[in-house]
Amino acid sequence: MEDLSRFKQTYFDESAELLAVAESGLLRLTPGEVDSDEVNAIFRAVHSIKGGGGAFGFTELVAFAHEFETVMDGVRNNSIPVTTELVDTLIRANDVLGQMLAYAREEAAAPPGTTDDTVAALRRHLAGGPAEVTASEPTPTVQPAAYPDDEDDEAGIFGDAMAAIDAARTEAETGIGAPVPEGKLRWTITFRPKPDLLLSGNEPTFMLRALRRLGDATIDCDLRSLPPLPALEAELLYLSWTVTLVADPDVDQEKINDVFEFVADECDIRISVEAPPPAVVAPPAIQASTDPVPVSATPPVPAATPKPPDVARAEPAKPRPNAGNSGGEHAGLTSHTIRVDLDKIDRLVNMVGEMVITQAMIAEHVRDLPPGEFQELLEGLEQLAQHTRELRESVMSIRAQPVSSVFSRMPRLVRECAAATGKEVQLVTSGETTEVDKTVVENLVDPLTHMIRNSIDHGLEGPEERERIGKPRAGTVHLSAQHRSGRIVIEITDDGRGINRPKVLSKAIEKGLVQPGASLSDEEIDNLIFLPGFSTADQVSNLSGRGVGMDVVRRNISSLGGRIGVYSAPGEGSRFVLSLPLTLAVLDGMVISVGEERFVLPLTNIVESLRPKAADLHGLVGKCDVMMARGEYVRLVYLHQLFGIPKAVTDPTRALVVLVETEDGARLGLVVDEVLGQQQVVIKSLEANFRRLDGVAAATILGDGRVALILDVAGLREMSRHYESGYSRPPGPAPAALPAPALEPV
Amino acid sequence: MTLIKWSDEGGQVRLGLPSDLDLPMAQPLLEGLRAGFGASDTVIADAGAVERVSTACIQALLAASRHAAEHNRTFAILQPSEVLTEACEDLGLAPWLKQWSRA
Repeated sequence: MEDLSRFKQTYFDESAELLAVAESGLLRLTPGEVDSDEVNAIFRAVHSIKGGGGAFGFTELVAFAHEFETVMDGVRNNSIPVTTELVDTLIRANDVLGQMLAYAREEAAAPPGTTDDTVAALRRHLAGGPAEVTASEPTPTVQPAAYPDDEDDEAGIFGDAMAAIDAARTEAETGIGAPVPEGKLRWTITFRPKPDLLLSGNEPTFMLRALRRLGDATIDCDLRSLPPLPALEAELLYLSWTVTLVADPDVDQEKINDVFEFVADECDIRISVEAPPPAVVAPPAIQASTDPVPVSATPPVPAATPKPPDVARAEPAKPRPNAGNSGGEHAGLTSHTIRVDLDKIDRLVNMVGEMVITQAMIAEHVRDLPPGEFQELLEGLEQLAQHTRELRESVMSIRAQPVSSVFSRMPRLVRECAAATGKEVQLVTSGETTEVDKTVVENLVDPLTHMIRNSIDHGLEGPEERERIGKPRAGTVHLSAQHRSGRIVIEITDDGRGINRPKVLSKAIEKGLVQPGASLSDEEIDNLIFLPGFSTADQVSNLSGRGVGMDVVRRNISSLGGRIGVYSAPGEGSRFVLSLPLTLAVLDGMVISVGEERFVLPLTNIVESLRPKAADLHGLVGKCDVMMARGEYVRLVYLHQLFGIPKAVTDPTRALVVLVETEDGARLGLVVDEVLGQQQVVIKSLEANFRRLDGVAAATILGDGRVALILDVAGLREMSRHYESGYSRPPGPAPAALPAPALEPV
Repeated sequence: MTLIKWSDEGGQVRLGLPSDLDLPMAQPLLEGLRAGFGASDTVIADAGAVERVSTACIQALLAASRHAAEHNRTFAILQPSEVLTEACEDLGLAPWLKQWSRA
C-alpha cells in the first residue's frame, strides 16, 4: 500500500504539472489560428491525467477527463472549431479536472453535480462538431490489411463476417503486395496492447485514428485472441492491430512513436518501413512481400526515392527507463529526467549546509598554523573550499525552477481581470526561464496575483479613456524576471495612470495612517499603499478595494527574504520591483564585528569599506550623520546604536564604514568595528527558530561555532529612519553640521 | 448513466444501447448480451443513439456476433450511429460492422 501511495503522489505531482501545461496551452488557443502542436500538447496532458486516474480507479475523474479529452480530440481533428466560447469552456474544464484531482488526492468523492455544468457545456460543443466532420471529412475507405501468419486457425469462427473480411483481405485490395507508390513510404505498424490497456484509460481508437491522419492507412484488426462471449472480461482488451500506412516522406518514426507515447509501456509495437522500388529493377510483384519488411531488407534506394529514415531500421531502440518488457521500438522516448522526493533534496541541501559550516570551521583552525608550513594541507583545504562551493551551487540548482511556472498562470488572471473590469489588457512577459529556488517560486504566486490585479484594476485606464488621452486602447502589463546582483528581480510594469498621489495621501490621512499636514516625499506617498488596511478603491469590487493586498504582498515578500519597491509616474504608469534571494539556504557573506558581536552582511549588498576622515563626516541637525563618499552624501548607520551593543567603536574615523547598497540603489554607510572576512554561510531561519527581528534577515553559525545574525540592509535603512525620532549623536568628535534642508539623504 | 433498454419483441430480445458506451458500460452491455442470448435466439442491439463508444463495448458486440455465428443464433446491430461506424472504421472493423448491421 505504501508503494501505491507513493505512485499516487507521483501521479498527483505530474497531474499538477500537466494541468499547468494544459492551461497555458488553452490560454494560447486563438480562434482561427489553431496550432496543432499546442492542441496536441493539451490533449496529451488531459489524456495522461485520465490514464493515470484510470490506473488508480478514480472513475469520476476518468469519466470527466474523457469528456474533456473527447472535445480536445475534436479540436485536434478540426471537427470542433476553436471559438472564444470553446476556449472558455475548456479552461473551465481544466479547472474542474483540477478539482477532481484535489478530491481524488483527499480520497473524497466529488460533491454530486461537480462536473455537470461543464460536461453539459463540453457536450454542447461536441454536438456542434460532428455535422462538420461528416460534411467536411469524406468517409475513408477502410480495407483490412493482411493478417499476420496462421490466420487460417480461426477461419469460420465469425461465419459470414469472417468470410467477408477474408474476401477483403486480398493482396489487390490491401495493397500489401503492391509496390510502394513513388514519393511515399509504406509503414507497417503492429500494435499489440496488453489486456489491461483500457483500464488505464487508454482508448485504441484515438491511436488508430491518429495513425489514419498521417496518411493512407489500412487497419487490420486481429480478433484471434477474443474469447467466447461467456468468457469475455468486459474491460480487458483482446484485440490487436496491424496498420499499413502509406505516407509522405515527412512522416517519420518519431511521428508514429508519438501516437503511442502514452501506451509505450502497455503494448508491444513493431514498426517497419518500405520505400518505393528503384525504377530500373524488376517488376514490383517480384519485389513485394506481405511480411512487414524492415528497411534493411529492401533493395538499394535510388537518390530520387524517399529514403526510409534510419531510425526505422529494425534495430532495437534504446531501452526506456522503467519501460518494462514492452520490447517495442520507441526511439525518442528515453527520459532524461527523474522525479525525486523534495524531502530527499532538502536533506541533501541541509547536509551541504553542514558541510559548508564544517569547511568554514576547518578554515578557521588552519588560519593559526605557522605560515610556510603545512603547505599541502592548505592547498588541499583550498581545493576543498572550491569543491564545496561547486557542490553547493549544484545542489542549489536542483532546487531551482524557472519562474515560468508562475508566469504561465498570469495570462489567465489577466484575461479574467480584463473581463471583470471591461478593460483591454495585453500581458507581456520576459525572462520566464530565470531560475530561482522552488520555495521562492511557489510563494510568488499570491504576490504576483495581487499586484497584477491591482495594476489592471487601479493602474490601467479603460479603453475609451486611454483613447481619449492618446494611448492605445489596450493597456500593457509587463511582467519580467532577471538575475541581478545575485538576486532575482521581478518587475510588474503597467502603462496606466500611475499612482494618484493626492488621492493616496488624502485616503491615508482619512484613515489616520498619516497625520494631517505631514510633508511626505513622492516615494513615501507611493509606499503608503503597502500599509495594512489601505485602499483607494472607491468601490469594493471582486478584484480589489477590500483593503487587503499590498500589505500582504509586502509581508509575503519579506518573509522570503525579499523586498518590494514601487516607482510611479503620473499618467505614465507604475512599476513594482520585487527583489528576492535566489536561494534560501546559503549565501556569500562578509563577517563584520561590532563590539563583541559578529554579523554577516550579504556580499551582494556591499559596495566598499573605508575609514572616513573627519572632514568627510557631517551631521544633519536632529536627524543623522552623513558621510561624503565618492561625491555623494551617504547616511551613516551606527549598528551598535540600532542593536544596543556595548564596547563598540563609535567614532567612524577610528572604526570602519561599510558602504552598502539596497536593490533600489539607495546607499548606507554601516559603522562597524572590523571587517573580518568573506565566508559562505548557511542560512538558518530566525522566524522558524525564534521570531522575526527588524534589520535581520536570518542567522548563521560561524566557523568558530558562534551564532551570527545576517543583516538585512533595506531593513537597517528602515530602522535607521525610525531611529531618527530619538536621534542622539554617538560619543565621539561631532562632525560639522549641515543645515537639515540642504540635502535629503537616502 | 443511461442504462441499456431491454425489450422482448415477438421472441426477439432488443437491447436499446445508450448514448454513452464508455468503458464503464462494457460490463452492463456484456451482461445484457449474455442475458439476451440466454433468453432468445435472436438479439438485436439498437445502436442508433450511440454518441460515444469505447473499444471495450465494440469488443463485446464482436463477441456477441461470434457467439451467434458459432451457435446458429441471430445477432444484428440496428442502425449503427455515425460515431459507432467511425469507431469501427478506426479499429479496422468496418467490414464486420457492415456484415452485422441492419438499417
